[in-house]
Amino acid sequence: MSKKYRQWVKEYQDQAWTVARYILKDAQEAEDATQEAFVKLWKNQDNIDPKRVRPWLMKVTRNGCLDRLRRRRDNVELDESHMAGDVAGPMQGATATEIGVWLKRAIGGLKEPYRSLVVLRDINQHSYEEVAVMLELNLAQVKTYLHRARKQLREQLAEVRP
Amino acid sequence: MNEYDDKWEERINALLDGELEADDAELLKAEATDDRELARAIVDAYQLQQAMDALRVEQAPASLTKKLQAIPRQHRSKPGFSLFNFAQPRWAAALAAIPLVVIAVSLMRPDTPSAAEIAQARQEMAIAFAYLDKAGVITGREIESTVGRTMANAVTDSVNRTIQSQSLNFKENEA
Repeated sequence: MSKKYRQWVKEYQDQAWTVARYILKDAQEAEDATQEAFVKLWKNQDNIDPKRVRPWLMKVTRNGCLDRLRRRRDNVELDESHMAGDVAGPMQGATATEIGVWLKRAIGGLKEPYRSLVVLRDINQHSYEEVAVMLELNLAQVKTYLHRARKQLREQLAEVRP
Repeated sequence: MNEYDDKWEERINALLDGELEADDAELLKAEATDDRELARAIVDAYQLQQAMDALRVEQAPASLTKKLQAIPRQHRSKPGFSLFNFAQPRWAAALAAIPLVVIAVSLMRPDTPSAAEIAQARQEMAIAFAYLDKAGVITGREIESTVGRTMANAVTDSVNRTIQSQSLNFKENEA
């Protein structure tokens, strides 16, 4: 195994997995999508600028996830009962405070590209510039869409807050 | 803030991201003291950010890590042996030449062959020539597509002359 590939797995697998997990909301599919993205990384490693590997990988992971969503027969998101039975999902994270559990569900309920923006920027902590590359948006679009996504979450939060 | 306003959102988010200039931040806070909804939006935004900060990147399951580590082994390129390579004309010609050499060596043996041996040798020689002829045609087509008909003819004519010469020698030996 190449040393640099091993390093990439170590550094980026969790981030790629998180993106796949939030978009697909299904552990097995997320695992498959992440694996596919890393296969592409392995095959294209000589053609990728080492400084751009992370945004490249996140972009490929996200695109693969969106393709999978499109292929789902009726294009309907998995229902809540499926999520509840999935112990490894974002809704049962290690930090599972009530607000955290709620927030993960709320993020998962956002439409694209809002969901990806929140995951990439607010959870994975990528820079605005990196997110713009990953989502093929300009910087202004990234900020505007992210603001809207956060506003949606904020309004939902206000509704559930005691 | 009674309706959606991208400018408010921009300023609130810039405040949270620490990108709002100090003067603008103070101005926004001053406005919030007079605008209850704006104040509420800022508080909500802070709470949301705190909740976001508590979320962590999900740890990939061990099963996924194993699969990712196995990718280089499963997708290693193997440019070495391939059956397809043996179907190439140069290999066909080389393979066809093997019985030819064997037959030539057997014909040079000092002891006189039997009629059955001669018949067997003749049959193998015919097969070998057929192989060479076919290989020559395929090679000629390849060369033609690459360098043009003139060069192809020069090469294939040379091959044909060699075959004919060997065929003639065989017939002479047979006689």
